[in-house]
Amino acid sequence: MDSENSHSDTPDKLKQSLVDLGRYRDKQTFAILYDFFAPRLKRHLMTKGAHGEMAEELVQETMLSVWRHCKSYDPRKSTASTWIFRIARNLWIDRLRKEKADLMTPLDNYPESHFEPAMAEFDSEKIKSALKSLPQQQAQLVYKVYYEGKSHREISEDMDMPLGSVKSGLRLAFNKLRSQAGELK
Amino acid sequence: MTTHHPDLSTLMSYSAGSLPDAIATVVAAHLSVCSHCRQQVQEAEQVGISLLEELVPATMSDHAKDDILALLDETEQVPIISREEQYVPNDADIPAPFRPLLGYYLDELHWRYMAPGLKQFVLPASGSNLRLLKIAPGTCMPSHGHTGSELTMVLRGSYSDELGRFCAGDVADLDPDVQHQPVADTGEHCICLIATDAPLRFNGLVPRLLQPFFQL
Ligand SMILES: [Zn+2]
Repeated sequence: MDSENSHSDTPDKLKQSLVDLGRYRDKQTFAILYDFFAPRLKRHLMTKGAHGEMAEELVQETMLSVWRHCKSYDPRKSTASTWIFRIARNLWIDRLRKEKADLMTPLDNYPESHFEPAMAEFDSEKIKSALKSLPQQQAQLVYKVYYEGKSHREISEDMDMPLGSVKSGLRLAFNKLRSQAGELK
Repeated sequence: MTTHHPDLSTLMSYSAGSLPDAIATVVAAHLSVCSHCRQQVQEAEQVGISLLEELVPATMSDHAKDDILALLDETEQVPIISREEQYVPNDADIPAPFRPLLGYYLDELHWRYMAPGLKQFVLPASGSNLRLLKIAPGTCMPSHGHTGSELTMVLRGSYSDELGRFCAGDVADLDPDVQHQPVADTGEHCICLIATDAPLRFNGLVPRLLQPFFQL
């Protein structure tokens, strides 16, 4: 983490880059964001079950959306990562719906405008170290929800655990992560 | 003021985009009226996304970056138009996420008879995993458990069971081992939105329709 380009990778720098992108529409700023997010988004989508080619397609779609909508980014509401991963999540869900030819497509499950501004930001370093201190089973539950995108039912089948235990394990894990991350920056 | 909220584990999975579609829609409907849960979801989202920053980056193809840079010039920058800027009648009682599909008013839906005191409306193309149930005042449902994840939100009126009284805006997010017997409160019809992630089973029309509530 002492390399030169680590300077452009901190959450605050990324946030500033995204704000700048909305203001100045500068391709070099876009390239900074692209270099950081594209490979992480690709890994994320592949972990969720997209094959390589589809993952890359969705990454491109996501990053093009970032370019198109960056004027709407409000740095008081979310970090750059939150905003960009949220776009990827919504595109991924749209893609799943299209594959199932599901007519629920007009339903907007994740409306941006419902989220309120101004919540204290968690310290992501603390969250990451808190995750490492979770009991193994709880860490696995969190992993399956956030990284693999598994539903409670799927997790209960994967881990051979009753559905009720999946839910209570997740609650415990989240409360631990939150309490350790709650100490503000 | 709602007093019954989705389980924290449900809100976590919602924030991660990991809930089955039908269940996510009920959560979205509840979020449209509950600031407490919106806050929880925001926190869950932040926790999740800090974890995503830990991902080992995957390698993009060589041409990917050039491809996208070449597209930028012909791609307009446009603001996201927020839904709230669109006109919504004051007395709309269909939750916001459903309006593009169902319109504004529960009373204008085509309710179908199911059993005495009971009507339903199955959302089109939800794989019958999402339905509205209209229960006459005082109607007593059979005692039942649940096979999988099931989320119920009250949209109008209220019902009571072993867990308490559920009024408009409240959500019942039951563990599958909970047995309960809901009774619609007297006074007005109780309208509930119910999502399940149960796999489809075609074992006769009536049992299939009644399954989510009666577990036939
Ligand atoms: Zn709530």
